[in-house]
Amino acid sequence: MAIRDDLITGLTTRLASSSVSVSTELPFVSGDIPLYQKNMKKVYLDEQQVGITEVYNTLDRGDVSQTETIVNAYLCVDAKNSLTDIATIINTIQSERTQLTDNNQFIREVDLTTDFVDDKIVYTFEYRFIAI
Amino acid sequence: MGVINVTAGSQAILTLGNTEPLAVPGATNSLVVPLMQDVTVSAAPGTVRYSTLDSSSSSAFTTVNENEVSFNMLLDEAVFFGNAALTNNSVAELGLLTTSINKTEIFFSVAFEGADSTDNYIKGKGFIGGLAPTASIDQAVWISPGTIIVNGELTKATV
Repeated sequence: MAIRDDLITGLTTRLASSSVSVSTELPFVSGDIPLYQKNMKKVYLDEQQVGITEVYNTLDRGDVSQTETIVNAYLCVDAKNSLTDIATIINTIQSERTQLTDNNQFIREVDLTTDFVDDKIVYTFEYRFIAI
Repeated sequence: MGVINVTAGSQAILTLGNTEPLAVPGATNSLVVPLMQDVTVSAAPGTVRYSTLDSSSSSAFTTVNENEVSFNMLLDEAVFFGNAALTNNSVAELGLLTTSINKTEIFFSVAFEGADSTDNYIKGKGFIGGLAPTASIDQAVWISPGTIIVNGELTKATV
């Protein structure tokens, strides 16, 4: 299963009792507005980006590669009236990186950035997984 | 004349065997050390320097050669720990680690151009040593250096 699918499955379960939900749709832009801004309080996960680099080169071409997968997640909420459980939601989304069933990832990181769009705040989570 | 390009992945080959015919590149039942990152053949003659009253420069004479083959490799489970099914070649059967621990003399060849007819290689016999497997979460696979301490001369041959 793709990492994006794993994240959606996990987040859907762990955010079920929170103020937000998880969408299976990609965060495409509709009418110049990204879907996560149109549908606030919904977590959207972008298509995963995969990069493969060679870690070790060998004389017999039995090279060892590592796969780096990046998935961006977006959540947009009202900036004026912040959700009461927003801290828990952010913590849950960040800790989801350690819940993947595929344990081959030896680096599991997530960065959080925030942007204001009008009276909304957009949380962007960048998941980064590296496996051999 | 020309450089020997090893990028095809089939030129630089270290082959081991418990007999000399088993260590010929491409020989049936030979043990090819896989996943080598580099291999170095060192043939260093020993020398002694001395000075004389009638010269402002030192002189030298040679003693014996000290030969060695060293390499770095990613560990292959069957090659490092042995494959009990490969009874025709005890080095392949026991693996590099046990052969080193047992201090068993082995035969080897280092192919420079591959294992095709008329390809050049260097051969000899010696002892496996210098194994020092390491792993860390950053490198994420087992890696080890290795050495063959050559017993006697290195000689050149063709397949």
